[in-house]
Amino acid sequence: MTNTSDDMRAEELVQRFIDQELTAEERMQFVARLGRDEALRRRAMELESLVLDASRLPRPIVPAGFTASVLRRLPEPNVWQRLSAALWTGRTLQWNLGGAMAVAAVLVLAVSALVVRDRRTPGTSGTLGTSGTPLLPVRLVMMQPGAKVVQVAGDFNGWNPAQTPLERVSADGAWSVTIPLKPGRYAYMFVVDGRQWVADPFASEQKDDGFGSRNAVVDVRPDVKTGASL
Amino acid sequence: MEQDDVALVHASQRGDRDAFGALISRHAPSILSLATRMMGPADADDVAQETFVAAYKALAAFKFDSKFSTWLYRIGVNKCTDALRAKKSAGASIDGAVAADDDTVAAQAADHQTPHWELEQLELAGELDREIRALPDLYRESFILKHVEGLDYDEMSAILGVNRDTLKMRVYKARTLLCRSLAHLEGTYR
Repeated sequence: MTNTSDDMRAEELVQRFIDQELTAEERMQFVARLGRDEALRRRAMELESLVLDASRLPRPIVPAGFTASVLRRLPEPNVWQRLSAALWTGRTLQWNLGGAMAVAAVLVLAVSALVVRDRRTPGTSGTLGTSGTPLLPVRLVMMQPGAKVVQVAGDFNGWNPAQTPLERVSADGAWSVTIPLKPGRYAYMFVVDGRQWVADPFASEQKDDGFGSRNAVVDVRPDVKTGASL
Repeated sequence: MEQDDVALVHASQRGDRDAFGALISRHAPSILSLATRMMGPADADDVAQETFVAAYKALAAFKFDSKFSTWLYRIGVNKCTDALRAKKSAGASIDGAVAADDDTVAAQAADHQTPHWELEQLELAGELDREIRALPDLYRESFILKHVEGLDYDEMSAILGVNRDTLKMRVYKARTLLCRSLAHLEGTYR
């Protein structure tokens, strides 16, 4: 590995090798390169060791009363579940018109209760983070008077700067973009003229990116106006 | 295996608690492992239990769009995230959990009169465990699912709701940070 560009390519290659995502041809080339590049060989070995050790971490032993303890914490089954369980246990029900109407009434009530519960319990959808999660507008601003193009790459766009260009919003060189994001923490960097990666100087937090530079971090929360949200 | 899960989930949805008990027994090792790596051993048991209780309450909403284990991991990750957030806002640190874990490793070594090389392995596991827990949240959950739980990026994407490329980048960064923080372990990562 001789220069920064080579280093980045080699790092990407070795990471993809660890994930077993190289094509057959790439793998051949990579293995050949391992033979003549000691630094790359060392890097591959340290990553392999790490991955192996992580996979061998001892599994915690499940305590003896774990299942019983969870079962004790479960809510009592509702009417619908009790009725359904009764039907599926193979008991013979004595049907008559009055009984059938009573069961139908119970079914209607049970279904209504389920619908209401689903609407009222954010845990069903919210906890799982599926639909209904509010998107919060986050405005990123960068001062780059001499730039022709400014983009942003981060956790929110797969670190693909092409997906999120900024617009020049003033004659004095302010660039801006507003991105709708789910609540969470996102690392990002600006990319100036397609080649210069710059951490956001307005960000309230920065973090080591593990590759020798620092990413800006934005904490998107419904209750807080973030440092990057100007 | 997964076919058995389908039958057990159907039965659980009808209110059969024994069936749900079987699901708990089957998936407790992976959920407890996830919670232990994310939270530390002190809080793992409670978070794992909460995961199953939440799963039971939401079971009617499970439509078999994914494997049951994927859906359960998703709840588990969310429970861990909620618990970590609550701890942080309460001003707690993970030091207590790390210290408890170190004690566990030391006690394990003493109890079993562990041979030297096994002791080294236990110490390494303790160090690795601690450094995994010190990772930024998003990197930690991705690394654990990928390399401790052994999931592929597609399943991770279904669990975390994040695209594959982002997950790969997080795992790359987690690996690099871990190699750096464990570099002092002579002959292991350097």
